[in-house]
Amino acid sequence: MNGTDRVSIDTADVWPEDAEDDERLVVNWFVSKGSQVEAGNSICEFQVERVDVDVPSPVAGTIDPIVLEENAAFERGDTLAYISHE
Amino acid sequence: MAVPADLDRTMTMSGAMVEVIATEMRADEEMFYMGEDVADCDGIFDSTEGLREEFGRDRIMDVPISETAYIGAAVSAAQEGMRPIAELMFVDFFGVSMDQIYNQMAKNTYMSGASVSVPMVLTAAVGGTYNDAAQHSQALYGTFAHLPGMKVVVPSTAYDAKGLMHNAIRDDDPVVYLFHKRLMGIGWLPAPDGPKTGVPEESYTIPFGSADVKREGADVTVVTLGLHVHRALEAAEDGVDVEVIDLRSLVPFDEETVLESVRKTGKLVVVDEDYRSFGVTGEVISRIVENGLGDLDSVERVAVPDVPIPYSRPMENEIVPDSDDIIDSIHNTNS
Amino acid sequence: MEGKTPGFDIGAGQIPGELHLAAGQEAAAVGVCHHLRDYDTVTAPHRLHHIAIAKGVDLNRMTAEIFGRETGLCSGKGGHMHIFDMDVGFAASEIMTEGCPPAVGAALTAKKRNEDNVAVAYIGEGALDQGAFLESLNFASVHDLPVVFVVEDNDWAISMPKDRITAPRDGSKRADGFDMTGDRVDHDDVVAVYEAAGEAVGRARDGNGPTLLEVQVHRRMCHFMGDPQTYRSKGDQTAHRKRDSIERLAEDLRAFDIGDEELEALRDRGPRSCQGGDRVGPKNNRSPSRRLLTRTCSPTHPRE
Ligand SMILES: Cc1ncc(C[n+]2csc(CCOP(=O)(O)OP(=O)(O)O)c2C)c(N)n1
Ligand SMILES: [Mg+2]
Repeated sequence: MNGTDRVSIDTADVWPEDAEDDERLVVNWFVSKGSQVEAGNSICEFQVERVDVDVPSPVAGTIDPIVLEENAAFERGDTLAYISHE
Repeated sequence: MAVPADLDRTMTMSGAMVEVIATEMRADEEMFYMGEDVADCDGIFDSTEGLREEFGRDRIMDVPISETAYIGAAVSAAQEGMRPIAELMFVDFFGVSMDQIYNQMAKNTYMSGASVSVPMVLTAAVGGTYNDAAQHSQALYGTFAHLPGMKVVVPSTAYDAKGLMHNAIRDDDPVVYLFHKRLMGIGWLPAPDGPKTGVPEESYTIPFGSADVKREGADVTVVTLGLHVHRALEAAEDGVDVEVIDLRSLVPFDEETVLESVRKTGKLVVVDEDYRSFGVTGEVISRIVENGLGDLDSVERVAVPDVPIPYSRPMENEIVPDSDDIIDSIHNTNS
Repeated sequence: MEGKTPGFDIGAGQIPGELHLAAGQEAAAVGVCHHLRDYDTVTAPHRLHHIAIAKGVDLNRMTAEIFGRETGLCSGKGGHMHIFDMDVGFAASEIMTEGCPPAVGAALTAKKRNEDNVAVAYIGEGALDQGAFLESLNFASVHDLPVVFVVEDNDWAISMPKDRITAPRDGSKRADGFDMTGDRVDHDDVVAVYEAAGEAVGRARDGNGPTLLEVQVHRRMCHFMGDPQTYRSKGDQTAHRKRDSIERLAEDLRAFDIGDEELEALRDRGPRSCQGGDRVGPKNNRSPSRRLLTRTCSPTHPRE
């Protein structure tokens, strides 16, 4: 793949441990499709049991595409977005 | 609009405000932040999110629920040369501490013949639209702007919030920084599209008294601030070629930008979430009448009628101006 | 929570705004208000529904108000934080301690008219540092007014624990500085509150001056519906949830041979005395303009 890898931003990786509720909602995206991000950059936040949870980018790369848009409800294991990186 | 379009990073308004406070606090050890629920709770409206973790409770201070005492303490600390920010949780609570605000903070520089200065920021959450009723939903923009001695700033986007906050903290005089709850980007208080914008990483200031043309248009000038910038932009999609001016600061007031627009359109609609009488709408119109009467063909104002904000949803919706009310007024200027 | 999820939205659903629930504070309401008559005045802060119920506020009309209905106690204008029922002398303000001066005023009126009315002002422990409260203590003391100030100490003021913002730990000590009687009920028990309040209300009614009474209660829930309590340890939340004065009272009653059936019947009486949300009156769907703009001033009654 021309040296480019694609990783998914998996909601399971950022799932708060003590949350009992299964309903999640994407609240804010801070980047858009095509944005360049560094590892650790805050890329979006979602809401769990009324708490906003920040999602850091796992790697440096380009966001493409965003899968779960703002206001989308989702479950553990759903993919928020993909990042292509070298 | 003044926001550079190609920014990779977007932020909520609260995120932008917090970033500035953190940057300025790193640079100046004499800065600190006082308020209720600002430490462990990150500010009820996310106004201090994450700051306690970095700066600790000595600089991000939860205070006794004694607004008179801690706002007054901020005034004096500022006079001693420190750079405090004091947060009033809801602007509606100003009543219990107004003396420290308008008789001390706002007047000490003048009364002392400018031998003291008060370099502090007073932040407060404003606005309604979520049925929090009469004691938690007011804008009160005009109340603060009426009283001489303090600068009054109202951001409507993350980009503006950052530049205005840098300016507020660096200003040597007291600045009242009023942020609209509905614009902060809080999960449980969803924002309209618009306040979340691109925000550059590096610091920049937006000078007070520089209104921003958020949309250019030739037919009607709409002057507004805060949440209603976004409602006016929505109304501007209705067909008439509307120019939307975001005042960004009330004190100082950018008369020139409004006059210039009215010279072009001849029609002025002033929109505000504050009470109608003796407030922002009346003041904006009288400034333009004083200095641009000849350019003015018609004038409308859209504001909260002179009643406290009611609780029930249909009642609140009725009195807080929405985009339809703005559209009606835009059409009225043509009839 | 209907209409407020999946993402909690404070402005959505049938009961929008900051709803402060009082589970865990019942003893302070019942223990004091049991001594009161309809013509006695009670002022309450933002967390008010338990007090309103104990004072005898019209439950159907209060429920209608909580739902923002025209049939509500305040025509839907006040909402759940600003309940008024003048038939039983109840009023609320969400601005902390702003109910204290009015309580003093009600007591002053009683004294001037030589009546035996008593006024009670409720505040939370977070309000112990607020000017209007402290000024009211002095006013009431210096004029020997029939007021009881009740502090509901649930350990928390939103995210701020009492010991981080207020000294001393025992709020009733404030009374010493104003030369008035102070008392604190250390455990969340309705009978203990009832006894302490009996003294305080009796003192006031007999013209022997004001009292400051602090009562330990518990905040079994979040500060307002929607507050995720990230600042509060799970241990503290559980501890508060466990200390339920209603269960404690049930235990006490069992000791007097009151059986489960009778206890159930008692519990049932509460909900049955109120008709509930969908039956408290029509929704405010029609255009509200006319009545919205009325009543910022009183209807005028020319003086006779
Ligand atoms: C003068 C004033 N300042 C701040 C607030 C915001 N506020 C509402 S409730 C609250 C905490 C109240 O704590 P407490 O008095 O202990 O009552 P509780 O909520 O615990 O019942 C605060 C700070 C207010 N309503 N009024
Ligand atoms: Mg409390």
